Amino acid sequence: MSAFLEVHQLDVAVDTTPILSNLSLGFVEGEVTALLGHNGSGKSTLLKVLARQLQPTRGHVTLQGRGFADTDTRAFARVVGYLPQHPPATDGLTVTELVALGRYPWHGALGRYCQQDHELVAQAITDTGLWAFRHRSVDTLSGGERQRAWLAMLLAQQTQCLLLDEPISALDVGHQVATLRLIHQLAQKRALTVILVLHDVDLAARFCDRLVALRRDASGGQVIADGSPARIMNADTLERIYRVPMGILERAPGLWVSYVH
Amino acid sequence: MSTSVMGSTTRLPVATAILWAVALAGASLPWLGQVPLSALWQAFSAADSTDYRQILLHYSWAPRFAMAIVIGFGLGLAGATLQQVLGNPLASPSTLGVASGAQLALAVATLYAPSVLAFSADLIALAGGLLAAGLVVALTCKMGFSPVTVILAGLVISFFLGALNAALLLFHGEYLGNLFIWGAGSLVQNDWSQFVDLWPRVVVLGLALVLLIKPLQLLQLGAGSAHALGARVAVVRLLALFLVVLMTASVVSRVGVVAFVGLAAPVLARLLGARTLRQKLFWSTLLGGALLLLADTLAQWATTWTAGSLVPTGAATALIGGPVILLALNGLRNNRHMPGDEPGPAPLVLARRPLPTTLWVMSFMLVAIVTLAIGWSPGLDGWHWTPPTDWAQVWHWRGPRLLAAIAAGVALGLAGTVIQRLTGNVMASPEVLGISGGAGMAMVLLTLFGLHLGRPGQLLAGTAGGMTVLLLLLALSRRHTFAGHPLLLGGVAIYVFMDAGLRLVLAGGGSDAVALLNWMSGSTWLVTNAEALALAAATLLLGALTVTGRRALTLLPLGHSTAAALGLNVARARLRLMVLAAALTAAATMVIGPLSFVGLMAPHLARVLGQQTVGRQLMVAALAGAMLMALADYLARVLLFPNQLPAGLLAALVGGVYFLWGLSRHDKH
Repeated sequence: MSAFLEVHQLDVAVDTTPILSNLSLGFVEGEVTALLGHNGSGKSTLLKVLARQLQPTRGHVTLQGRGFADTDTRAFARVVGYLPQHPPATDGLTVTELVALGRYPWHGALGRYCQQDHELVAQAITDTGLWAFRHRSVDTLSGGERQRAWLAMLLAQQTQCLLLDEPISALDVGHQVATLRLIHQLAQKRALTVILVLHDVDLAARFCDRLVALRRDASGGQVIADGSPARIMNADTLERIYRVPMGILERAPGLWVSYVH
Repeated sequence: MSTSVMGSTTRLPVATAILWAVALAGASLPWLGQVPLSALWQAFSAADSTDYRQILLHYSWAPRFAMAIVIGFGLGLAGATLQQVLGNPLASPSTLGVASGAQLALAVATLYAPSVLAFSADLIALAGGLLAAGLVVALTCKMGFSPVTVILAGLVISFFLGALNAALLLFHGEYLGNLFIWGAGSLVQNDWSQFVDLWPRVVVLGLALVLLIKPLQLLQLGAGSAHALGARVAVVRLLALFLVVLMTASVVSRVGVVAFVGLAAPVLARLLGARTLRQKLFWSTLLGGALLLLADTLAQWATTWTAGSLVPTGAATALIGGPVILLALNGLRNNRHMPGDEPGPAPLVLARRPLPTTLWVMSFMLVAIVTLAIGWSPGLDGWHWTPPTDWAQVWHWRGPRLLAAIAAGVALGLAGTVIQRLTGNVMASPEVLGISGGAGMAMVLLTLFGLHLGRPGQLLAGTAGGMTVLLLLLALSRRHTFAGHPLLLGGVAIYVFMDAGLRLVLAGGGSDAVALLNWMSGSTWLVTNAEALALAAATLLLGALTVTGRRALTLLPLGHSTAAALGLNVARARLRLMVLAAALTAAATMVIGPLSFVGLMAPHLARVLGQQTVGRQLMVAALAGAMLMALADYLARVLLFPNQLPAGLLAALVGGVYFLWGLSRHDKH
């Protein structure tokens, strides 16, 4: 299977500080990939490059085999959706209005919203469990509800690819699991390519098909581990990723519990 | 790090010394060829009454030289103190409204109570300054003098008093030239009396301020910590404020408003590396003296170059100070969390109401106002009603100005909505951001160079001016992602800049000055039928274009990444909307002047009336703007009949109050 999104010999530097250096990675269609790594390892930067939010210093990125520069802004937004780490304040928008903004790439500045759009918006709100809040102002919601509202907007965007920067950071355990399960199901049902930054290794191993770990030293961020959860979830690899002594238990096939010594 | 510390310790004295050297050389240069250096020195003590040049030196050059330095010292110190008190690197006596208050009081006294003025100009200036500062304090004391609020309140009061001053002068055109030369800060001296009068005050006030250093230092930690360390925060602030007002009033009552020095000196000191309060006070005092001496020299040279048309020093200081402020705004990014700086206001959560009801009610009110304005007017023999059948006859007098006012209101309502959405800041508006000021600046420049382009040319120039300001602000505030006050304060800088240009023209006097003053205060009575129709057509066209941008306006407040991730071409959309906002503002500014606050009120009213989405807000804001301006125009026509008030001024009166109310509401959340 050819790569859906691919980065090749990527360098990113902010001012003179290298963030990523000579990074090459491919992401396969229909796969859920978690980006792991310590703080400042370049996970968010990589995601921003993939979302075309950040211009790499060197190297190139291809989407479905085509160079990034060849795609028009709105056409790109119909294929790739991106959720930033800190979504901004929404200035009085209701949940429904926010989610409806996800339909913008499909209609542009003047196109009319049809019945199907309203259904997709309603579906996204239901999927994220926000139906009861659909007329509430997003600013009045709790942190977790707000995060789900933004996720719903991304779902309504109906892209083939989701780039999520810590999408569950503000959620309680119940909603974390529900959200990841939803993402996993959608990925299977609609052959979505999902790349998400996560901090919880155990949840990542439980719900993702592939784990990619970055680590940054003086020369910039590098991939130091890449593979299925079964290959990553061992004490040695985790120690290399987070630089603390770690242990791991496999309670059942595909169900790991990691801990710190 | 050590190198930069070393660098800053030598940089300050060196830069100050260079500035002084340049200022001293510049001030003495015109005389050096004519008299020996020792004669310049002697001029400060006595004059050889047999030599005309010696007399000129002793009674004109030397006192002016000394005045510039003493005033520079005083204002530099006052500005640095004020910045410490308010924890705001853009505070100054002019931004607190003190200077305008003193100026207005003196203008009132000149026109209506010259005897009091003869008794003591100081007292009058002090009263005016205290009144303005008192207004600011009264408006903001409930909020514990939060620095941002104080500055914004000061700014609005300053605008407001300036507008009042302009209106006053409109009715007394005969004194216009003199009042404005004085108002622009002229340092021309005829003997030593003013200097002898001033310097003891500056020294005493300066010493008093120095005594306050220790408690002022604590303020740097923020009100909470300072209080915990035992400082009586409110008392210290009030005392320091009082001393600063006294200092400013002493200066204003003698030479008029010398804006910017009190702002530029401390800003320069900080940029050059003054860190502690002691350093800031010391160096900004020294820098203030050199800056004003330099500005005064420039003003004298300019006066020579322009063949005798007087260039007041206050206008020259603005030319130096403007760039310094923009520099300071750029440097602001390093200390975003200033002492006592609160995080941005919590989002307002407003109710939502159905659109049709609001639209119906407002349309009905607009029709009522229009009917009233055309039909019900005072005549020489009392009020009377003109039936609609006779409206064609009175249209010529009442129609065009009403139509122009309504079109301007609509344009400002739309422009205000666009700008508030674009910046994601509900206190932003074309007026507060200086876009009107930029458009006004273009008009002032046209007048200054004697160009008569007609309305289309003016509109184009105004749009270009507004765009320039908007682009400048966006470039400056990119790093802040439009977070609140840097943007607002940048607008202040631009407005004051325009004001300086305006003063230059006014000091020149003549018919240009009167026309400009009329325009500045928003006089609708000069509008012709064709102009009104053209304005209405332009507003309709630009309005239609704005409505097509409503989705972009919904997306842009969500930030660059989100808007781009949703497929909006952010740069292009932003540019397009900016051009639209600038054009709308310029169109309105041509009719009602740069200071109406309608662009602030109308969009805000729309939100308060429950219209939260962009499309609805645009519609209701346009209607609200139309209503406000129609009402202002009607009242301007009938309130002092047969005299006419400028409609823009009337709108500014209401708007200023509304702004302050909105500000206080905002801070409570």
